[in-house]
Amino acid sequence: MEFLVWFEDTAFSTWMRESGPAFFSSLVLHSIAMAFVVGVHVAIDLRILGFAPRVPLPLMRRFFPVLWVSLGVVTVSGVLLLVAYPAKALTNPVFYLKLSAVVAAMVITRTLVTQLMQDETRDGGAASTGARRLAAVSLLLWGGAITSGRLLAYTANLMLASHAQY
Amino acid sequence: MEALLAFSHRTGIYEFMHSTWGWPVVESLHFIGLSLLIGTVGLFDLRMLGLARGIPIGALHRLVPWGVAGYGLNVLTGIMFVSSVPDQYLFNPAFQTKLTLMGIAGANVLCFYRFVYAPVRDSSGGAIAPQSARIMAAVSLVCWVGIIVCGRLITYYRPPYHWCFWCS
Repeated sequence: MEFLVWFEDTAFSTWMRESGPAFFSSLVLHSIAMAFVVGVHVAIDLRILGFAPRVPLPLMRRFFPVLWVSLGVVTVSGVLLLVAYPAKALTNPVFYLKLSAVVAAMVITRTLVTQLMQDETRDGGAASTGARRLAAVSLLLWGGAITSGRLLAYTANLMLASHAQY
Repeated sequence: MEALLAFSHRTGIYEFMHSTWGWPVVESLHFIGLSLLIGTVGLFDLRMLGLARGIPIGALHRLVPWGVAGYGLNVLTGIMFVSSVPDQYLFNPAFQTKLTLMGIAGANVLCFYRFVYAPVRDSSGGAIAPQSARIMAAVSLVCWVGIIVCGRLITYYRPPYHWCFWCS
């Protein structure tokens, strides 16, 4: 916590907090990138669940450049938001819930990509029950990640580390 | 405005939105709806712009109803926001811009299905979409991303601190 008090006092952290454009751009870019990160995953999950069956599943990997760029933007903007209000996020259990949900969902995607999307010549129609279950869990995890992200604004214990000292 | 508030009270929306968890829950649903929209309609637009060639456009279109569902969810949650604190929205230039962009996106959708989609629907996987489709796909993407930006701007332009200059 001492470290966070010091950190929040640095020029970088203060600037992120007090500069309207800096904070707002990070927030907006985070929202847009989130939409594409979740969106690409949701599209793949829906396909595995059997919707849009004529879409060759392995070819959906060709949307991954959008995913990589969006992951980059969402991470950088997320770090900048964290730089602005580190104590607010790091003392909030909901923040760790959000990160866990994101990691878990991406682990599932990794599994599904390896199992079902490596061979472009094979698009074997309906996915297995196990794969469909994973896709369904993935959808729930992304919903959870979005919700916990939103709840961060409402569940904070404190805004700044210095507030904890009184 | 009074009509909106009366509607909100009558339906119980007002009480819910002013409860502890009402607003955050509805906001989360709003974000989920937009992710559904971007993930389906957004990817469909990107395919028409040339990304992920090999996927037949008509086949990918089967995901779009989920985007429409997401949009519908956002209209419903949006009504819950606006009817509960109407003065914060109706006079808010960010919200007005958002509605304008939604109108443009809607007109773009109508034009797309009326004039452009039919020949594109049955094209092969490797097909390049015609220029009209590509233009409409670009308009669509710009609109939806702009709508997200305006949505985030709403809180920064709440009246009366930033009264819109074209309001009487």
